[in-house]
Amino acid sequence: MNCVLEGNAVKAFGKAIHSLSRIGDELCLDPMSKGLALRSVNSAHSAYACFLFSPMFFQKYNLGPEQGSETVQCKLLMKSILPLFRCLATIERSVERCQIQINTPNDRVKIQFFCRHGITKTHDLCFEESEALQAVFASHLCPNVLKAPARVLGEMVKHFPVSQEEITLSITPLRVSLRNYFEGGNDHMKIMYTEMSLHPDEFDYFQIGVESDITFCLKELRGLLSFAESHCLPVSVHFGAAGKPVCFSVEDMILEATVVLSTLIDSESRGPSQPAETLTVAPRTPTRCADVVPESPGEADCRKAAVPAGMELVASSQGSPIADSALLLLLHHLSEPHYQERANSTPASSSFIDLYTQTYIQTRFKGFEASGRKSS
Amino acid sequence: MPLSTQSQGDAEQYVLVACLDNARNLSNILKAITFKDHAIFSATPNGLKVTVEDSKCLQANAFIQSEIFQEYTIKEDSVGFQVNLTVLLDCLNIFGGSTAPGVSTALRMCYKGYGYPLTLFLEEGGVVTVCKINTQEPEEPVDFEFCSTNVTNKVILQSESLKEAFSELDMTSEVLQITMSPSQPYFRLSTFGNSGNAHYDYPKDSDMMELFKCTKTQTNRYKMSLLKPSTKALALSCKVSVRTDSRGFLSLQYLVRNDDGQICFVEYYCCPDEEVAED
Repeated sequence: MNCVLEGNAVKAFGKAIHSLSRIGDELCLDPMSKGLALRSVNSAHSAYACFLFSPMFFQKYNLGPEQGSETVQCKLLMKSILPLFRCLATIERSVERCQIQINTPNDRVKIQFFCRHGITKTHDLCFEESEALQAVFASHLCPNVLKAPARVLGEMVKHFPVSQEEITLSITPLRVSLRNYFEGGNDHMKIMYTEMSLHPDEFDYFQIGVESDITFCLKELRGLLSFAESHCLPVSVHFGAAGKPVCFSVEDMILEATVVLSTLIDSESRGPSQPAETLTVAPRTPTRCADVVPESPGEADCRKAAVPAGMELVASSQGSPIADSALLLLLHHLSEPHYQERANSTPASSSFIDLYTQTYIQTRFKGFEASGRKSS
Repeated sequence: MPLSTQSQGDAEQYVLVACLDNARNLSNILKAITFKDHAIFSATPNGLKVTVEDSKCLQANAFIQSEIFQEYTIKEDSVGFQVNLTVLLDCLNIFGGSTAPGVSTALRMCYKGYGYPLTLFLEEGGVVTVCKINTQEPEEPVDFEFCSTNVTNKVILQSESLKEAFSELDMTSEVLQITMSPSQPYFRLSTFGNSGNAHYDYPKDSDMMELFKCTKTQTNRYKMSLLKPSTKALALSCKVSVRTDSRGFLSLQYLVRNDDGQICFVEYYCCPDEEVAED
């Protein structure tokens, strides 16, 4: 693989590496036809992050002939590559272009910085070939979705000290709140509890399928928030009940970044807890081209529908509005008018999953119409 | 100035008297060569030379010309002694080394000769401190026999570009390799660390390159641990000259401007780590 980045793109690339360094000790470079993915997983497999840069992000992006359908995935030590991008201010000031080449024969990644004054810095880093790990996470199946400018989330988390390991995100139809989380056994008198809440209107997109409190590691998320703020991108949050992973993502025309974190099984418990499920981290097979594995092409569209830009309505199998009964099954806590609708009762369609998905999509769309909120 | 009236009477006893209105003009430049405790002072009518050595492989010299001093009197052709450099720097900064504008420590440095301590009179804001530092027999500095006629390659660079490179150097590399050549890559710094190799290339037509005179391709390696102290001198300097001779010995000369804009020089000499076959 051979690619060239220019000017500001080098700084964005460096910032992505900074964010990934908060997750794990190793960085996986995964050149694919749809772009270059940078991934990192922590040792406990409880945090995963992926930054995908589309070919348009680069001035030049070529996959070598040896790549084809079997791409070379390089695993580098974070401590080898992070120093090259450590000082972003220097990069912004002096780097004009950056070229990255992956040479399979001698197991080296060559990163060259072409700087002002004709100066060239070349780094030959050793890598290990490995299977790229990728979190299997079906965000389109998440009942709860939030979307807000990075600044809003950034301002919420900045109230917590840098040493704060875990926080709990709670969602009800009336509010979203964040509070710090402490494991049991600590002296409650010595701890400062911080909690802040936001009204659903503060979010560009607010959807609640099930009230929940999820507890996850804040430290691992900060990198993504910082990246999103520097690019002024909105952050989407997909989650469900406690114990299920939470996914934070940002995207624009030329890049996508995702952080998937596992959550504690029972955030109310004061005893030491293990995460309910570690993320399903599976080797990426070359044929699949999406990070989040869609069950069918239609559902891949469903996921896109979750992102307000480019909305698609997926027709239900009956071609009719959803049944009230099915809706109430899933959304029994809600009382806000714009989440309910009067619908004719229709016979239930094929499988529960299909119905859930369709209900889910239609609800969201109608929610938009009812509240009259424009997606950003 | 209180210091000069005070010691008028002793003036005859001293073989060396050097005065500065701002002691930082001496202490800053000495910090650039403080990698060992002891320094050899050698004063001549031209000025003061301070030498620090490490295991006979590395030598650093700081030159402060007589013109830099507000008063510089020397009674002999050459005056030499050795002192503990760390102690000397502590004394020069005895008033806390504040960098408030308009506030500076005045210095009067006096030496009576062999067997006598080095006496420092330091004054700031009307408060005077007298320091007497024991001197030792000066060791003979190593003569690296580096002379201009043997120089094969020479470049002069603006320090700004090298400062960045040196701050990013991979410290897991035991050596720093310097390649100088009339053809590509012209001037290259290389490291060989745990995660891989790195090369910093400066083309001969770069606007950071003030002078480029390379007669033949030479590649030499120097121990990173020996060159590391030179980054202090690099940080203070605005220009640096890099020269290698036919034996592969390295001379780094730094042009340093002091607080008053006057020019002083610091130079480092380093032996090569091993001979690398020339391309």
